[in-house]
Amino acid sequence: MRIGFAADSSGLDSVAVGLWEGRRPTPSYTALGSAASRAVAASPRFSGKEGEAVHTVTADGRHLMVLGLGPEEAMDTARAERLGGHLVAALNGLGAERLGVQLDLPALFAAHVAFGLRLRSWRPPPSLRRPLPADEAPTLTDAVLIGDDADWPPLEALADSICTARDLAVLPGNLLGPAAFEAHARALTDLGCTVEVLDAAELSRQGLALLAAVGQGSAQPARLVVVRWSGADGAPLVFVGKGITFDSGGLSIKHGDAMAEMKGDMAGAAAALMALRTLAVTRVPVHAVAVLAIAENMPSGRALRPGDVLRAYSGQIVEVVDTDAEGRLVLADALAWSCATLKPRALVDLATLTGAIVTTLGHHHAGLFANDDGLAAALLAAGEPLWRLPLSDSYDEDLKSPVADIRNCAWGRVPDALHAARFLQGFVTEGVPWAHLDIAGTADAVEDGPMGIKGPTGFGVRLLVAWASSAGRSSTPKRRLP
Amino acid sequence: MKISFAKFAPPSEGAVVLPVLEGKVLTSAGVDLDGRTGGALTRAMAVGKFEGKKDQTLIVLAPHGTDLSRVVLIGLGKPDSVNSQTAESFGGTAVAQLLTSGDTDAALMIEAMDGVALGAVEFAAHAGLGARLRGWRFDKYMTKEKKEDKPSLRKVSLNVDDHKAAKEKFQPLDKVADGVLLSREVISEPANVIYPETLAAEAKKLAEMGVEVEVLGEKQMRKLGMGSLLGVGQGSERESQLVVMQWKGAADPTVQPIAFVGKGVCFDSGGISIKPAASMEDMKWDMGGAGVVIGLMKALAGRGAKVNVIGIAGLVENMPSGTAQRPGDVVTSMSGQTIEVINTDAEGRLVLADALWYTQDRFKPKFMIDLATLTGAIIIALGEQYCGLFASDDELAERITTAGKAVGELAWRLPLGDAYDKQIKSDIADMKNVGGREGGSITAAQFLKRFTNDVPWAHLDIAGVTWSKKDTATVPKGATAFGVRMLDRLVAEHYEER
Repeated sequence: MRIGFAADSSGLDSVAVGLWEGRRPTPSYTALGSAASRAVAASPRFSGKEGEAVHTVTADGRHLMVLGLGPEEAMDTARAERLGGHLVAALNGLGAERLGVQLDLPALFAAHVAFGLRLRSWRPPPSLRRPLPADEAPTLTDAVLIGDDADWPPLEALADSICTARDLAVLPGNLLGPAAFEAHARALTDLGCTVEVLDAAELSRQGLALLAAVGQGSAQPARLVVVRWSGADGAPLVFVGKGITFDSGGLSIKHGDAMAEMKGDMAGAAAALMALRTLAVTRVPVHAVAVLAIAENMPSGRALRPGDVLRAYSGQIVEVVDTDAEGRLVLADALAWSCATLKPRALVDLATLTGAIVTTLGHHHAGLFANDDGLAAALLAAGEPLWRLPLSDSYDEDLKSPVADIRNCAWGRVPDALHAARFLQGFVTEGVPWAHLDIAGTADAVEDGPMGIKGPTGFGVRLLVAWASSAGRSSTPKRRLP
Repeated sequence: MKISFAKFAPPSEGAVVLPVLEGKVLTSAGVDLDGRTGGALTRAMAVGKFEGKKDQTLIVLAPHGTDLSRVVLIGLGKPDSVNSQTAESFGGTAVAQLLTSGDTDAALMIEAMDGVALGAVEFAAHAGLGARLRGWRFDKYMTKEKKEDKPSLRKVSLNVDDHKAAKEKFQPLDKVADGVLLSREVISEPANVIYPETLAAEAKKLAEMGVEVEVLGEKQMRKLGMGSLLGVGQGSERESQLVVMQWKGAADPTVQPIAFVGKGVCFDSGGISIKPAASMEDMKWDMGGAGVVIGLMKALAGRGAKVNVIGIAGLVENMPSGTAQRPGDVVTSMSGQTIEVINTDAEGRLVLADALWYTQDRFKPKFMIDLATLTGAIIIALGEQYCGLFASDDELAERITTAGKAVGELAWRLPLGDAYDKQIKSDIADMKNVGGREGGSITAAQFLKRFTNDVPWAHLDIAGVTWSKKDTATVPKGATAFGVRMLDRLVAEHYEER
């Protein structure tokens, strides 16, 4: 669906106007006269609550939707976004093709309505399937917001990035393997980013053995992809993403019933990459680096075995007791390498890391772990649903290995999300502010909602962009941006 | 085991216990004893790699130049980290070292220490508390225990200059310990001994301390419409009970009370949704919440807390039988809300639903805090270090967290929200009793919230902390009574008349 802005709704086959809660009219609603007011009068349950809708026809024969906007006071950007989503959800099956959105909201809110329209209209890439039959296919081709587009460009860039992150997450393992993921990252050079890739030989030379080992069962070797946006000088903010393009579990293989979902086990890397893309497109004056730990976790004759002992980049010796606790292995090397090589101002990793976080927080909050209260507060302030959980040395006992410095997980009914976070903390250089976001619950929506259909959410992109943008305000801008 | 307070004078025989600060810093009693033994302590510390780190211990047997049986050195850590919990650990560790050692008498030598903010009097009182907490043992069913395995320690004497002041400080702590130990006792008892009627009988004993105790049986609960609680107990031969305890410690007995509500599933087989056999015996402690509430009432009454407190325990046994509740059954709770019982093993919330509603309906409390070994999910979420804390009131949540920190019973807050509430929608009733694996502890809390009638409320999911697999300095493995000390502290800090 294309999204545009225009001065009026001429040439469009449908139009949406708003009515505040308590049926308080907006100017466009009033201007439509009895066509709108009679339809509303005939709908006794319609009160104008957020998302309620009445459908009718205008005097000149166009489809008319009256959308409940909720209470007129305390309007905010989040509600504006949901309103955009409600429009798409309500209209897509009704035959309307070119929709004029005439809600009479200020430019800022209009831009956020457009943002909601864009996110809710996302679908898996059409290349994945034959065209839907006409009676199932979405009908909307255009949404035209009547008003000023002043606030739209940065949100459009963000929406594009989120939608691309969803595309990457929904692409199956055979279409998005490590090499294809790397190609997506390399495409960011067009935006002025620099891209460096540590291939198998380089991982071995520099000693990122945990990352290499997770990928060793696959025909496509692991790699570390480093994408840099130099919008400012100084120490960078670093986003580290878990990018397991497909996670079979390896020799500790997963059950078949839900294994197909594991094509999305690279959602953390996709979010990190797309956040960086947004910063580059909108030319935010900040120095940021995305470090993507990319591998495919497969069982094979040369796969990593339970019981194998590996020397991590940091020098610690890790006993791998479960090859399906692989995310923490690739991140451990990526974090340690980032600390040593990039000297970050702050470090945030995102990973679809544990099933335990889903048991803990469900699908409505991501788990936040941090070694620094200031960083935790800054991330919480970004407005995305995060819930802080404890990092405590009381879990070290559970991760003790009888043969090595540490084992990668413990068995049984254990707090695995807390264990994983504590494991990762051991690979972050002391004194570097670091946060870990376990997004296994929030990377996917279990049902359709105003901000997207069931499936990948692109969670993390917006969070990182908001955090980097506000953190960037305290950095030194370059005189000339690349 | 008897705890006493005595003048600061080195004993001539028995066991002596000395605190040591990190860096091998002995107290004056330690220096004195080291001199009398010709430097035996200094040598032992060097040989034993003893630094005085927190909870490090070193035992010197029958030191030369004395008639002492043994000297126990216990590390406290750095001076600025020493607080009342350190003192409790010290007392507990001393007892752990000596309980079955063969010694009958131990003297803990306590004095002011350089750089330590906690005074000797406070230190001694809390060491006494630690000794009592660690000295408890549930051994009544051990009829063949060998003599050498049985406790030998009879008397723990806290030697401190101002022993009268220390003893006075110890009095309320001693009463809290009484409450903790009662909780541990009833939680440890097997389900053929402690079942709804016998646990109610334990609660009734609090009447001697001035607690008003009523027990509602099934007939009365039926009259009140408690279909949710009664459904859980209907498969068992044992009669369900609702225990109502009132402690009127405020000057005005009619002033608005605070309320604690405990889940008391005296045995939880799971019912028709029966549990796997492995570890089902653990389900004797599924009445941990009720056990804690009863112990808490004992602690508060014992120390004469100046506050009006309601304690409610919903007691049932969850059994499969020809009369048991079936998955799919719909019950009507006292609140009028209907519940579709999808899983009969999510029974704790059904018991609490009616207990909470009854509490707010009858007593109109300032707030309600419930405790329940409610979900397996909380163990996956937080392990055995923290209990899960859910609250409709930020101030209450903050106060609970702070009180817990002060006594070493930690709570970690988890979220509530409408998005989670959707997971317990039922197709045929007002709600269903399970919301799936995802956010399993949160959806359980959302369920409870629907029965609080908007009274400020907090819920402690204690499934991970009620039973400990290993000893700690003040809690032997087994029943912990987690919650008694935290909530006693909460009351003392914020809700008592001055």
